[in-house]
Amino acid sequence: MKELNFKQLDEKLFHEKLSNGLEVYILPKKGFSKTFATFTTKYGAIDSTFIPLGSSEEVTVPDGIAHFLEHKMFEKEHGDVFQKFSEFGGSANAFTSFTRTAYLFSSTDHVYDNTETLLNFVQEPYFTQATVDKEKGIIGQEITMYDDQPHWRLYFGTIENMYKHHPVKIDIAGTIASISDITAEHLYTCYETFYHPSNMSLFVVGSVNPEEMMNYIRENQNKKEFSEPQPIVRSFPDEPLEVAKRENVLYMDVQKPKVYVGLKAKETSLQGEAMMKHELAIQLALELMFGRSSDFYVKAYENELIDESYAFDFTLEKGYGFALIGSDTSKPKELIEAVKFELNKVEEKWPFGQVDVERVCKKKIGYFLRALNSVEFIANQFTRYAFNGMNLFDAVPVLEQMTVADLQEAFSSIQGESQQTVFSILNKKEQTSS
Amino acid sequence: MFQSNELQQGIHLHIRPTDQFKTVNFAIKFKQGLTNQSASERSVLANVLLHSNELFPSNPAFQSHLDELYGATMFLDSSKKGNDHTITLLAESVNDQYLANGTGQVLDQTLKLLETLLFKPNLEQGTFKESIVKREKSSVTERIESLYDDKTRYAQHRLVKLMRPNHPASISANGTIEDVSAITNESLFVAYKKMIEEDQVDIYVVGDIDVDEMTSKLKQAFPFPSRNIKPKNIHENVQHPTVEKDFVNEYQDMKQGKLHIGYKTPVTFSHPDFPKMQITNGIFGGYPHAKLFINVREKESMAYYVSSSFSSAYGLVYVLAGIDAGKLEKAVRLIDEQLNAMQEGQITQNEINQTVSMLKNQLKEALDSARGQIEIFDQYKDLDEKFSVETWSEKWTKVTKEDIQDMAKSINKQLVYFLSGKDEAVS
Repeated sequence: MKELNFKQLDEKLFHEKLSNGLEVYILPKKGFSKTFATFTTKYGAIDSTFIPLGSSEEVTVPDGIAHFLEHKMFEKEHGDVFQKFSEFGGSANAFTSFTRTAYLFSSTDHVYDNTETLLNFVQEPYFTQATVDKEKGIIGQEITMYDDQPHWRLYFGTIENMYKHHPVKIDIAGTIASISDITAEHLYTCYETFYHPSNMSLFVVGSVNPEEMMNYIRENQNKKEFSEPQPIVRSFPDEPLEVAKRENVLYMDVQKPKVYVGLKAKETSLQGEAMMKHELAIQLALELMFGRSSDFYVKAYENELIDESYAFDFTLEKGYGFALIGSDTSKPKELIEAVKFELNKVEEKWPFGQVDVERVCKKKIGYFLRALNSVEFIANQFTRYAFNGMNLFDAVPVLEQMTVADLQEAFSSIQGESQQTVFSILNKKEQTSS
Repeated sequence: MFQSNELQQGIHLHIRPTDQFKTVNFAIKFKQGLTNQSASERSVLANVLLHSNELFPSNPAFQSHLDELYGATMFLDSSKKGNDHTITLLAESVNDQYLANGTGQVLDQTLKLLETLLFKPNLEQGTFKESIVKREKSSVTERIESLYDDKTRYAQHRLVKLMRPNHPASISANGTIEDVSAITNESLFVAYKKMIEEDQVDIYVVGDIDVDEMTSKLKQAFPFPSRNIKPKNIHENVQHPTVEKDFVNEYQDMKQGKLHIGYKTPVTFSHPDFPKMQITNGIFGGYPHAKLFINVREKESMAYYVSSSFSSAYGLVYVLAGIDAGKLEKAVRLIDEQLNAMQEGQITQNEINQTVSMLKNQLKEALDSARGQIEIFDQYKDLDEKFSVETWSEKWTKVTKEDIQDMAKSINKQLVYFLSGKDEAVS
């Protein structure tokens, strides 16, 4: 077990790569009574074309399968895993993103019992055609629920506008039609390929003794047999730089129109510290252009182009990336123009200096320090960073070194008109009148 | 947990020194009776105070200053609890020791800002600026209107409105569009004076700080005048009105059916049976091991979400489920069956044990965040000044199957509300 010291942050991280390939991280937090653990596989909604373990032929599985598999992990021959967590006072949950599937629990008591439940239920698949078919009703209602959420539709609609081929354009849960094709055999194929310990990471944070916990996990894993780890071969289609659609509108029963401007990223191959620097630099540039103290924000707010739902964000993973800027707005056309005007202005002449950069760096450093109070943030974000070869705790030192040129260079990779798209949700009534 | 003392009559300070967090958290709570008018005025007031102040007369100047303080956060939040409207000023600043070049300035400057925000608003001829008031009125109006676009929240709002019209249970913490539009610069300034001079005030501080030093700094920073706060009769019994209809179906253009059921119970937060009702609600639909989850979701595959919640301030229980609009009748029947089963005593010791351990865990976990510590203490201090996890856990541990059966019998269905798509035929 290795010990990593982050002195300025007053945190100590313990790490070990087990013989079966599982990466285990433990971070004790003083004063906390709860322990939070995430058991995550580097497998998400975009991993739909791959060579299954022990095969040589590439397959493409139905959309939404990673999420479906996540649901089905909780059902075992002798009932539901939630029951077991409840007995030991553990709150369990799971989520599937584009690139990861995470299983998690938090508890203030019986931490070893809950850890054992977590490790065992994720490593003991049990799928039958009957249980798979039964789940289709539940996930069908989940998909229908999201279908009625305008902000969800806005987010996925904008991504779909940007990407022509890459599977990030497909809704994580799939569609009612796509999940109807899922079989128990599909689930086993995906499970065997992506749930090998060498493709997974376990993070335990909170009220925990690192030596004892590491021993406990090691013993649990040593009792189980796994095949030899093999490299996973995923396949992604070539994606052009320009967006698939420049503009699209969805009509829903909403009180107020909603708009996102999306910017498709050019640089999506970085990993490690270069990726962290690039990603932070773009977030800082967006903060300068669109943040609460920007000229854009002041004008847009005063002219009632935006409201409290206003948001901007940058997402980067291997193979895709995008920035989103938008709001609920009674003046969608004017808001889109104002965002584009701001983007053009900065592209023509970069207006920010070192003082500005230092200010937003300070804000971001404060954000990280606040977030380190949250064991959920630490476990989820650490895993996300680690899967991309980065270390969450490097963020503060990287921010302290950031320069104007870094921001300018990074931001240029999401500038360019052909990389821009607009997605709007308008009231149904406007559909019939226009 | 907290060390409490009275700074002035009606102004209470609660401090918790701890090195658990990398930040210092402040929460200043202003409480006053809840009406549509007070909720509307105070929501706009919260926005206006947060917009700018005497030191930073423009919003970007104020925001830039917060950035310089390592993104110190400052929010004014408009909420309600029981019969009170609460404005909470929340602030969080990093502890200087974690900054590479920390000089001890960030915390002091955050305190200074809190004082400025509350006592030195941005005024023009003795009142708030017209343009700011106008903009923030419109902001709160937009917030109220946005409810329509969130179908679950909208359906829940409609259920409570139909069950308890003109009652604190259905008054929104943001007020109403009509009351917001009636606000003038003058009426808003009156509301501000009232908040500073007459509200019940509780100040919370959590972080790695020295209690005496912080107390004297706060005394100096906050020149609140003393005030008389009428002791609240928290053991008041709720009066449950009769509800005219027992089923209401409303329509929007949407795919899923949103089923919301309202029940009444004589048990409230201050009632001695409160801990028993918490267990009862947990077994009914509070957790993934609950009857609703197991039988409606897992056995019948009818829903992705189905749960119950206990609104202890008003003696109300709600069940929420997202279902196929054509399966309303079956869903209502299944939900009724779960409550009936509990009323007939079909409750296992395992269900009780699971629920007790989940409730204990939930309470302990909430105490792992500074905000959680503040909110829980603020809620429970009126009931029990010596509140602790242990004393509450003991109350839950004592609850028996018969207690739960009695509690289930006290839960009476009042209204089934269904929000569904326009094209769906509902049988």
